[in-house]
Amino acid sequence: MADQYRPTMLSSCALAATAAEARFRVQYPNSKARVSRVFALDQHAAEAMYAITEAPWNGAHFLTVTTRGDVVPDETGIDDLPLSTPDGSPALLSEELQGANVVILLSSQHSNAGAAEVIAREAYHRNIMTVGLTLGQGASDERVNAVVNTLRPFTSVLVVASDNDYVPAMLSALRA
Amino acid sequence: MLSKEVNDLLTRTDPGTPMGDMFRQYWIPALLAKELPEDDCAPVRVKLLGERLIAFRDSKGRYGLIDEFCAHRGASLWFGRNEEGGLRCPYHGWKFDYTGQCIEVPSEPEESGFCESIKLRGYPLVKIGDILWTHMGDKEQRPEMPVWEFATVPAEQTFTSKRWQECNWLQAMEGGIDSSHVSFLHSGNLQTDPLFRGAGGNKYNLADKKPVFEVVESDGGLYIGARRMAEEDQYYWRITPWVMPSFTMVPPRGDHPVHGHFWIPIDDENCWAWSFDYHPTRALTKEEREALEAGYGVHCKYVPGTFRPLQNKDNDYMMDREAQKRGETYSGIWGIAVQDSSLQESMGPIADRTKENLVSTDNGIIMARHRLRKAAVALRDKGVQPPGRVKEHQLVRSVAKVLPQDQPFKEACKEDLTVRPGVKQTSV
Repeated sequence: MADQYRPTMLSSCALAATAAEARFRVQYPNSKARVSRVFALDQHAAEAMYAITEAPWNGAHFLTVTTRGDVVPDETGIDDLPLSTPDGSPALLSEELQGANVVILLSSQHSNAGAAEVIAREAYHRNIMTVGLTLGQGASDERVNAVVNTLRPFTSVLVVASDNDYVPAMLSALRA
Repeated sequence: MLSKEVNDLLTRTDPGTPMGDMFRQYWIPALLAKELPEDDCAPVRVKLLGERLIAFRDSKGRYGLIDEFCAHRGASLWFGRNEEGGLRCPYHGWKFDYTGQCIEVPSEPEESGFCESIKLRGYPLVKIGDILWTHMGDKEQRPEMPVWEFATVPAEQTFTSKRWQECNWLQAMEGGIDSSHVSFLHSGNLQTDPLFRGAGGNKYNLADKKPVFEVVESDGGLYIGARRMAEEDQYYWRITPWVMPSFTMVPPRGDHPVHGHFWIPIDDENCWAWSFDYHPTRALTKEEREALEAGYGVHCKYVPGTFRPLQNKDNDYMMDREAQKRGETYSGIWGIAVQDSSLQESMGPIADRTKENLVSTDNGIIMARHRLRKAAVALRDKGVQPPGRVKEHQLVRSVAKVLPQDQPFKEACKEDLTVRPGVKQTSV
């Protein structure tokens, strides 16, 4: 360890860490808008997502995977995955991922593993961080575990939340 | 990012604030038991949750935690005479018992009953393990006594310290659930600290610098799992439990003692970082205890006679840029505890979270804030008691374990994450 006796100078921690000095912190926007894409993989997840899409987000796009059957990843090209926006318009995965910083896979009681893999695979190729958020509200532990196991290979961060309120909390925290 | 309103809600703990009311639902550490070593010993000033108090131990061994200031003229009872079953103000001789009840006013006739009408605010102070615990909320809502494993194992198996941290409790506590900083800030300690080195799991930490995180709610708070690649088809998991409002445990390493923390607000700009090490099934060795007392692991060295770290902001935490260049420490600061506190204090007395840019690996922090906020609001608006008060929530352990890749850690480690008396910690 270095010497414990040091003179206190204007740049010393003793002065710099005070509340008085906090007011001299430079005030400016220190980040650009984040480009977030939220994909609801099943109907319950879509309902949780639609409940918050009207909030004033920072450019986040909200999309729903609209296929009713199983998606076979090896047979599904990037723009073959049926996606829709909250107003029902179709969307293309390739366009939605253009310039994205973070992809959030929102799932509930149904894993829709194939769709998750198609999105996550493309996000991986584009070096986009992928987060899995599983909503456990009303679902059995077995069901949640099944969904979590499905998402695990494709996500860099995986969260299991017991209530739908976590969706806006997380998106706000991430400046989505 | 948090709005200023939410940041204020989570960080302010004075009486009457939502988070202050929430902390007052729990038994919290108040003093080390050794601070009141014998009957009629010197009283100790204590500030908790923005309240100035005085702790003392009376002639019968009863612990008291009462308003610091005499009800007569407001003199500090730190100057009091601790004698014959009470603390007597030396100014005019008023005397108070361990509950804060005035038991003597020399200037008034004893028969007048005047002193019975005088009572200082008083809180219970109870010794469990090395700690004196208090509950600063309504007596009617008082929870059962705490049962944290570190505080209830035999004395030879546990060690507790506390240090003054000069910042708000929340930014300090968030460090305890922010597993991603370990690969950077503490990377120099993994192979050198006597309480970490030699563990089998260290090789996974060193080989895989980009852990993947899973955050799962528990009844009492959260489990934050960090997984790294292990042998084929396996993950090395390090699982950190957080129990509301401010208890965390660090995942174990080998057979080293298990460590963890409580962060308790002193006021809005200071907190106590309580740190413990214990082993569930054996006494700490002489070498371990010496290392703990010397400030290794999650403990620290002190300014002699105080609970202030020897490395503090007045000496720039004894920053050693040469040690940083040599690779001995990552930040240039010696010791895990002060590596953390130096950065947390540098954020300012209360971190401004309106300017932060969290990323997805911060989900443990995001979820903890979310749960704290919900619990504080539910208590304020509906009187709902927050999680973390009952023994089922407190009997948790941290875990380090290698699992097949297809197993969810919460299920696969269910038993390991729970205190099992007589069974050692699950560690690699």
